[in-house]
Amino acid sequence: MAGRKCRVRFNVGGKIFETTATTLANAGRNSMLGALLDESWNVRQPEEAEYFIDRNPACFAVLLDLLRTGELHIPPNMPEKLLFREALFYGLLDKVRAARWGAFDGNRLHLASSVSGRAPGDGTAIRAGPEGGCCVAHGSMVHVYDWMLEAHPPISLDFQQVNDVGYIDAGSIVITARERLGKGDGGMGVFSASTGELRHRFRVTHYDQVKSFTAGALSFSNADRKIFTSCKGRCNEYGIAVWDQDTGEQVDFFYEQLDCSLGDADKLQWLDADKCLMVATLFPRRDTSFIGLLDFRAKGVVWSWSDANASVSASLDEKRVLHATAVEETRSICVVNQYDDLGFIDLRSHAGGVRWSSRSKLMNRKAPNEESCYPKLATHDGQLFCSMNDGISVFCGPEWVLTSTLRRSFGGSICDFSIGGDRLFALHSEENVFDVWETPSSPII
Amino acid sequence: MSAQKRRTFKIEAFKHRVEIDPKYAERTWKVLEHAIHEIYNHNASGLSFEELYRNAYNMVLHKYGEKLYSGLVTTMTGHLKEIAKSIEDAQGSLFLEELDRKWGEHNKALQMIRDIMMYMDRTFVPSSGRTPVHDLGLNLWRDNIIHSSKIQSRLLDTLLDLIHRERKGEVINRGLMRNITKMLMDLGPVYQEDFEKPFLEVSASFYSGESQQLIECCDCGEYLRKAEKRLSEETERVSHYLDSGSEVKITSVVEGEMIANHMQRLVHMENSGLVNMLVDDKYEDLARMYNLFRRVTDGLLMIRDVMTLHLRETGRQLVSDPEKLKDPVDFVQHLLDEKDKYDLIISKSFNNDKTFQNALNSSFEYFINLNNRSPEFISLYVDDKLRKGLKGVSEEDVEVVLDKVMMLFRYLQEKDVFEKYYKQHLAKRLLSGKTVSDDAERSMIVKLKTECGYQFTSKLEGMFTDMKTSVDTLQGFYASQHAEIGDGPTLAVQVLTTGSWPTQPSAPCNLPTEIIGICEKFRTYYLGTHTGRRLTWQTNMGTADIKATFGKAQKHELNVSTYQMCILMLFNSVDRLSYKEIEQATEIPASDLKRCLQSLACVKGKNVLRKEPMSKDIAEDDAFYFNDKFTSKFIKVKIGTVAAQKESEPEKQETRQRVEEDRKPQIEAAIVRIMKSRRVLDHNTIVTEVTSQLQSRFLPNPVVIKKRIESLIEREFLERDKADRKLYRYLA
Repeated sequence: MAGRKCRVRFNVGGKIFETTATTLANAGRNSMLGALLDESWNVRQPEEAEYFIDRNPACFAVLLDLLRTGELHIPPNMPEKLLFREALFYGLLDKVRAARWGAFDGNRLHLASSVSGRAPGDGTAIRAGPEGGCCVAHGSMVHVYDWMLEAHPPISLDFQQVNDVGYIDAGSIVITARERLGKGDGGMGVFSASTGELRHRFRVTHYDQVKSFTAGALSFSNADRKIFTSCKGRCNEYGIAVWDQDTGEQVDFFYEQLDCSLGDADKLQWLDADKCLMVATLFPRRDTSFIGLLDFRAKGVVWSWSDANASVSASLDEKRVLHATAVEETRSICVVNQYDDLGFIDLRSHAGGVRWSSRSKLMNRKAPNEESCYPKLATHDGQLFCSMNDGISVFCGPEWVLTSTLRRSFGGSICDFSIGGDRLFALHSEENVFDVWETPSSPII
Repeated sequence: MSAQKRRTFKIEAFKHRVEIDPKYAERTWKVLEHAIHEIYNHNASGLSFEELYRNAYNMVLHKYGEKLYSGLVTTMTGHLKEIAKSIEDAQGSLFLEELDRKWGEHNKALQMIRDIMMYMDRTFVPSSGRTPVHDLGLNLWRDNIIHSSKIQSRLLDTLLDLIHRERKGEVINRGLMRNITKMLMDLGPVYQEDFEKPFLEVSASFYSGESQQLIECCDCGEYLRKAEKRLSEETERVSHYLDSGSEVKITSVVEGEMIANHMQRLVHMENSGLVNMLVDDKYEDLARMYNLFRRVTDGLLMIRDVMTLHLRETGRQLVSDPEKLKDPVDFVQHLLDEKDKYDLIISKSFNNDKTFQNALNSSFEYFINLNNRSPEFISLYVDDKLRKGLKGVSEEDVEVVLDKVMMLFRYLQEKDVFEKYYKQHLAKRLLSGKTVSDDAERSMIVKLKTECGYQFTSKLEGMFTDMKTSVDTLQGFYASQHAEIGDGPTLAVQVLTTGSWPTQPSAPCNLPTEIIGICEKFRTYYLGTHTGRRLTWQTNMGTADIKATFGKAQKHELNVSTYQMCILMLFNSVDRLSYKEIEQATEIPASDLKRCLQSLACVKGKNVLRKEPMSKDIAEDDAFYFNDKFTSKFIKVKIGTVAAQKESEPEKQETRQRVEEDRKPQIEAAIVRIMKSRRVLDHNTIVTEVTSQLQSRFLPNPVVIKKRIESLIEREFLERDKADRKLYRYLA
């Protein structure tokens, strides 16, 4: 339609809109508007035609504005859900999502929403999906929310105690579950995020025999299309199992070695730059903490750290490593103790201990009480996040200076949080509430 | 799980169910079904997209997604069955055209249907795990058209037949072919399974037959030309109308059938095979063979092996041909020509392939060392070039010749033997003043130095220094003697440093008194300026110019050796002398004396002496007369020494012995060096290490190494280990 008509007239639910073909081109060919204007549907259209669309004109106005400016402004009197429904009709829902919140920045986050859950017990884990959704594990159930924070059918793996969850992509969720004694169930499966159907169940085979197992922590390598899980079996199937994301078949098994406990690992983290998997087995699951890097090509632990020797005269007051995350940018592993002190272990040295950061002591530290949760750590884009009681601290820069604190007044301490899809989700231990933190879109000027 | 791409989430709108007309779904579907019919019948202009889209949307919204989807499948299948029939009915060559036309129409219709069903594609399809509309349309086309029993085999046969006809030289409609293969590619694995596989099989049998036929009637060069043409044809075919992924497969079929299967036969083909190409310098054919064989496994290996075998055989014949051995210069020239020939072949035809260069080098190394006189001959070749061969040749050309010699030199295992000979030949050149160009000489030395290091040439360089100082010394001598020397003989002395020069232990001969006088003067002068030195006269190496008057007052200037001068001076006083008398008077060693006399009396045109009886050889009871009747048209007569330029058998033995003798300290030094750093070693390791250390100079014989070790043990440099007799220990 080049040059034929650059102005386009719509009659949407009785209201006339005029716009340009250029603006509408932003909708893309794979949208309702793109098809509507396509040549194949306009063979006999006279000049100055008017397209009639039997839809809500107010929503159309918002969406047309989105196509014109790339920004989304929802009038206060318009329910979000109504707009989302209309956007889906026009095939513009992805564009609405993309304009809904800005690129993630730990120092610009604001609380976008608080969602109260419906689980009976304490939350186990919360995981952010790649497109802004999340899933929350409570006991044996996993509740799934899409980016509009709509709840989808909950999922479970044989109603076993869920150990960990994770997204392969926006539509697929992996769940690891504990095996019940003598039942031979538990294990690990992939579910559809939208319907909650079980799509695949992972098997651990040992000498061609399928074994039942308890699956623990999860990690994904999207570049290599692999899934890593800590496994505990009946006999000696202790260690890290590796599956292919596409076929769902087991491709490797790294057996536990004498001085490193892998089957019990609390946290796995795939390091893309090193092509290694960080495995952390920490207090209180084990009395001694162990952190190691596994290289599957070399079939070995290429780096490790443990406090086994340091804690001969272990006292309760001693600093225990409670959580760990690898910071690839600085080639170190960040850890946290029961006093909320941050510590760093250098990945380039094999003999180094934990270099505790004195700075964190300056913060007014509450005495650990019964209600507090163990601290958790996460990194994202050069920023370090640490949950401490009811808040999350953001650290930046080469010296990891405390730059922001995310806190709100209710919900109790934070038992888990996760960053993904440009959002931060924090799960509170009381009241089954989780918070959604987003970065607002860029200022107008 | 791989099919699960990013998807948008479905929104459950309208939680409260709206009471709708129970016939609603049926009615709506009828509208959509009608639209699909119209689209397929090219009658879509009357349709309203907005209305159709809204209808499809409403069906999904009201939970009739299942009905919508299955209705779509049924309707589309129905249309495709009709299309299949019209394609089946197409006659002959119209078949492909009809298929292509219908495919285009189907694609267009599919796009429009997808537009209508877009909402279903976004919501119902992912959540119910169905195939998206576009893929569904392709699958249905595949199942109803391409896999229809009446079309599938006809399509394949038509395509293969067209390709066969094109291979036979006919012109086909490539555009149409491209459209059809493009369609098969769009259908995913259909191209590979339904077309590519049988295509490759048919091609294999086609080329298997053709190659059989060709190899019976073509010579190797022609066959290769045809194979090359076929390969480029296939590549071109792929670029015109096949999937680019097929290129590797089809070329590998042609390579396998036309080359790999016949490699052996092609290479060894009588009168036109590889050896003939090499002999006749068929650069183009060789290049073609190289480029074709490179494509198949072990192809180049085969060429290389046959070339190596041929090279070694011809080389072996060359170095063992007794005819060639007679003339060392010719012998080396042949080697160089052979090397040039193959260098040219490798650069012109074999892409300067390193592995071929290596094969060439190793072959030369192999056969040059088959003949243990090669070092001598190469040195003689240089000698010849530097004596006369390079006269009037530009500096660059000299470099070229020397570089070529150096290349041969590199092949030599016994570089020390070469050094020995080179030293002898250089000494002769320098002393007789026969060298053409000092620059060329020095350039050769520099080359040897870069190749073998400082030690190799230090003595050779010493010889040049001696020559230079001798000139200065002589000038000084004559400057100091200017008053006393009247018309006596002029003396030119070259003072040679012992050790630098290949001196033979020379028996001093009795010099004529005229000479002795000036010699003594020189000795006094020299020892006067250089204290603590010793001078020994090397009478076997000198030359002399003497003036002689023959009958009829013919005056000639004779250029002779020192020995010959001594003999001729005797005839100043008498006209007849017996062999014994000459031997007594001069005390020249018998073998040298005989040689001198032979050259003075038995060479036609230079017989200044007359011998009785007249025979070729010198006997002890011969008598010699001053040849009064000697005539020559030259005033200056050069009387050479009858001496083989090549070494005689005993001389050769002697040289070899000297070489062996020289090697002993080198081997010992190497052993000590190695043991000093390693302290303890077993026998075999020592032998390997010594060999590798010395191989730049020569290839030590393991037996000799063993002897040297034993000698070192005797002299208590080493000892055998007490526990393990195979181990040696270094004694500091």
